[in-house]
Amino acid sequence: MIPQLDYAFYVWSSYGLFAVIMAWQFIQPRVRRRRIIAELQEELAMQTGKYDDPDA
Amino acid sequence: MIFHRLKVGFHRLGSPPTFHKLCRVLSPWLWAGFLVCAAIGLYQALYVVPPDYQQGDSYRILFIHVPAAWQAMAGYVIMAILAVIALVWRIRTVEIMTMAAAPVGAAFTALCLATGSLWGKPMWGTWWAWDARLTSMLVLLFIYLGIMGLYAAFEDRRKGARVACILVLVGLVNIPLIHFSVEWWTTLHQGATIRLLGESRMHPSMLPPLVWMTVGVKLMFGAALLDRARNDLIDQDRRKNWIRQLVDEPATGDNA
Repeated sequence: MIPQLDYAFYVWSSYGLFAVIMAWQFIQPRVRRRRIIAELQEELAMQTGKYDDPDA
Repeated sequence: MIFHRLKVGFHRLGSPPTFHKLCRVLSPWLWAGFLVCAAIGLYQALYVVPPDYQQGDSYRILFIHVPAAWQAMAGYVIMAILAVIALVWRIRTVEIMTMAAAPVGAAFTALCLATGSLWGKPMWGTWWAWDARLTSMLVLLFIYLGIMGLYAAFEDRRKGARVACILVLVGLVNIPLIHFSVEWWTTLHQGATIRLLGESRMHPSMLPPLVWMTVGVKLMFGAALLDRARNDLIDQDRRKNWIRQLVDEPATGDNA
């Protein structure tokens, strides 16, 4: 059950901000790593002749 | 014997594959520890501790604000220690860790300023005051952003890291200013409520969620630092064989 608090807007905004920043710190590095790995795999595939061009 | 093992372990961390493995293994545990601590801390902060007799429920913001403020400053001190190691011993993995600490520290500083503002509006009647504590904390945010900007401005990442490490050490002067600002000047911001030495002015029943949240954000700082350092290492070493081997493994790069 959600507690009924005085100054609810200020309290919940603070806790919401905390959740958003923590989630961002978790997600952002994983998204970046996935992008770097995808780039590297594409480079490797091109070098070994296994590249499957999606636009071809 | 123990000292020798520690020395060998420290030197091994300078090896990128070993450092990468450490980040990969340690980070999930730190995130798990953070989740457990934050779950207990948030539950106690919202459901268990009583309202303050003067501030009502608004003081519950401090269970976010105070750990964020402590971590913003502790993060900077950790970054400065890493900067000294990076400048003296020129260990690349330590340079990477130093630079990875800046965005995480900046996030905690921004969170501290924002939650302080959200607490200040109902309690002080204003979102912001040019008070010594608030202003020095804002300066800390600008220093963090300056370090990130300076590092990003160099195409040669190692040169950028070394220059930014010097800025880290220059900016260290701001940390005692933040800490002692409430004693040296007359400020709207209250003085220290929690003391490591001596009696705290906070009621003991309100301390447990603060301790859980403080431990939680420390674990989270470590986890986010290792995640970011791991990414920077992969990015910098993308032409090296050890990264190519990791990416080329059958698990389609899951180990990278």
